[in-house]
Amino acid sequence: MQRAMATVLAALLASLLLLFLAAPIVELIARAGGTGIARLGSDKELRAALTMTTLCALVATALGVLGGTPLAWLLSRRRFRGRAILSAVLDLPLLIPHPVAGIALLLVFGRDSAAGQAAIAFGLRVVGTPVGIVLAMLFVSASLFISGAREAFARVDRRYEAVARTLGDSAWRAFRRVTLPLAARGILASAIVMWARAVSEFGAIVILTYNPKTASVLSYDRFTAFGLPDALPVAAVLALLALIPLTLLRALRVDGAAAVERA
Amino acid sequence: MIDVTGLSARAGDFWLRDVTFTVPASAYGVVIGPAGSGKTTLLETIAGIVPAHTGRLRLGSRDAGDLPPEARQVALAYQHAFLFPHLTVRENVSYGAASGAEADEMARRFDVVDLLDRSVRGLSGGERQLVSIARTLARGAPYLLLDEPFSALDPRRRARTRREVRALHKERGLTVLQVTHDFTEAGMLGDVAILLDGGRVLQYGPPEEVFRKPASPYIAEFLGAENVYAGIAHVVQDRAPDWAEGTSGELSRAHHAVEFRSGSMTIYAVSEVILEGPTYAVVRGEDVVLSLVPHTTSARNTYEGVISEVVTTGALSRVTLTAHDLPIVASLTTRSVQELGLTVGVRAHASFKALAVHLC
Repeated sequence: MQRAMATVLAALLASLLLLFLAAPIVELIARAGGTGIARLGSDKELRAALTMTTLCALVATALGVLGGTPLAWLLSRRRFRGRAILSAVLDLPLLIPHPVAGIALLLVFGRDSAAGQAAIAFGLRVVGTPVGIVLAMLFVSASLFISGAREAFARVDRRYEAVARTLGDSAWRAFRRVTLPLAARGILASAIVMWARAVSEFGAIVILTYNPKTASVLSYDRFTAFGLPDALPVAAVLALLALIPLTLLRALRVDGAAAVERA
Repeated sequence: MIDVTGLSARAGDFWLRDVTFTVPASAYGVVIGPAGSGKTTLLETIAGIVPAHTGRLRLGSRDAGDLPPEARQVALAYQHAFLFPHLTVRENVSYGAASGAEADEMARRFDVVDLLDRSVRGLSGGERQLVSIARTLARGAPYLLLDEPFSALDPRRRARTRREVRALHKERGLTVLQVTHDFTEAGMLGDVAILLDGGRVLQYGPPEEVFRKPASPYIAEFLGAENVYAGIAHVVQDRAPDWAEGTSGELSRAHHAVEFRSGSMTIYAVSEVILEGPTYAVVRGEDVVLSLVPHTTSARNTYEGVISEVVTTGALSRVTLTAHDLPIVASLTTRSVQELGLTVGVRAHASFKALAVHLC
């Protein structure tokens, strides 16, 4: 009897949480999804914000993959002094509030900072430009990529590399021919997660670059300036945009699990 | 030649400690030992996958301890094959092959030609092992490390693959080190047997010597010696009838007659060293002869007793005769057991030569 009660209670709590998580998104898409898509044709600012968001997220993700893949490999494959500290440093951006991340970036890349002035000397302005958006996105989402890619490398049995080495491959060649292809699916999934997180970023971006606007900043701007009805279509389009990486991830994971089972 | 001296290496919490042995050039070494004894770690250390902490490794005339795996000219095949799952069988066999022709030849010799265009994901365990062996040998390396390479093969394929590996070893003068759990395989293939346990080499030498003259009762039991007795040994004095001056001085000095007592049983043995005090006597089951009536033979050890157990496995049987409250296990053909009518309760005589007794 007690067990049955516990099961019912657990099911009830789980259902309530599920409802709580799904209801706002479903409601948002149901109420404004159609209008949002229709607005894409007429609302130039929305189109520009979406383009800016997806492109900046893409650049941030590319930078994250380029720099994060060696870090992920290092953390997954090598034991060295300071490894735990490096891990913690890489996780830090996930834990601090995002406006705080924006302020910290402003300190490092602002006009008065050494790095900011050096960038300006090279003709590169960070604050108030797409560069600022990319840096904010990179800062808040790179940790997710590194963590996922690290797991992807860890899932590749070292003995595949060992065999490749005894078959004449150097460490780099074994990585390129064996480790990387075997971890590719996990790395791609991590890159998609990073891109999705970058697209959804608001707090750090709004500190570094209010204009040009990303879609998240635009939705906030419309909400504060014109109220809920104007903000709804933008918010709904952003919610629909989130479905793309979600679908891609599901496809990758199902296929990946099947591949592992077959192997 | 694979020459290992005082080698220590660590894999996780496991340590390989002070490992020393030599597999001569173009010889076939076999590593035997219980699960978790460090066999795979040993191969990985020789291959350069696991770094050596201390000790020296020579491959031929080269000091190989500091060389990266790809420079050691050592090819390694794991028990679980580790075929690259993103490549086809053909791509696996060709991976690292000395040439395309070499890959083709190995595919043919190990009978995987029909599998070449398949993905490795659908292969059976045995097929994987065959592809792995073909891939390893196609490398053309002079040193070959095989980690239980035949364990997933059916008996017919196992025998054929073993023959093929042995043939390639002879044709190409390869120096091979193979891990096996199969003592028969170790005896058939090996020029050198290395017995490993707890990360240490317990004994190494020609398989015949390791099997016939185990260095300790633990080794004897691990190697499947049926009769291991604890007791007291003492050398029979030179004036006793057991001993006579030899025609060659060296021969007479090198062999001593030994009387070994275990409970009320006395076993006569011959030892190359003077053994006195507590020790163990080892007699292999195949050296024990059973008869229903006592025979006058040259065997120095004959005991009368009652058969207490008969275990038959196909063409072979193990018959236990209890004499002096001690079991004497004989390995016989099942046909002999049937023809002699050896069943539980039957009185019989067991005999073995003093030379069949190994004291350790």
